[in-house]
Amino acid sequence: MADEYGRKWDRCLADTAVKTVTGLGVGVVFSVLFFKRRTWPVSFGSGLGLGMGYSNCQHDFRLPYLIHGRTVKDQ
Amino acid sequence: MATKLLPVVKLATKVGIAGGAVYVAYDSGLLGGSEQGSEALRKARAAVPPAIEEWMKYFGLQTQLPTIPNVEFSPVQAWNSGVRWTISRLSEAPTKASEMTTQGFQFVKNLLK
Repeated sequence: MADEYGRKWDRCLADTAVKTVTGLGVGVVFSVLFFKRRTWPVSFGSGLGLGMGYSNCQHDFRLPYLIHGRTVKDQ
Repeated sequence: MATKLLPVVKLATKVGIAGGAVYVAYDSGLLGGSEQGSEALRKARAAVPPAIEEWMKYFGLQTQLPTIPNVEFSPVQAWNSGVRWTISRLSEAPTKASEMTTQGFQFVKNLLK
């Protein structure tokens, strides 16, 4: 179980790094093409990537405890 | 006609490039779940050294890249051993303090004799 926890952390950090860099890259592309090389699209993109990574991490860690309920209809 | 068409063509090209960048990011699984993201990082790490070697051959630079030294240091183990050391010292602290106080009193007593 400790191994699984460590693996989750590894996955989480790798995924967050990838998403942040991807967001940065897409932000650079948008900045160069549409926004006259301003900085804010780059910051926005990397922030977006970081947030997506954080959200994925949160979901991954909460996964064993998520309870999915079903409504049983009376017949 | 051409002067009116040029800005439209420029805009269409820009939108195409930007949309293409977003599509490539989506298609390579960079915007998906944790598993896909970490898998993409693993693939990138595996692909970087051969790519660098190929580019260096292409530019005629045949220098050998220094190999990354294999450092036998684990931050997790270092941290855990630090925590264990701190807690064991804290648990021994009252006993050690009383021993040292006793020894101090004995020393002073011997001095005053």
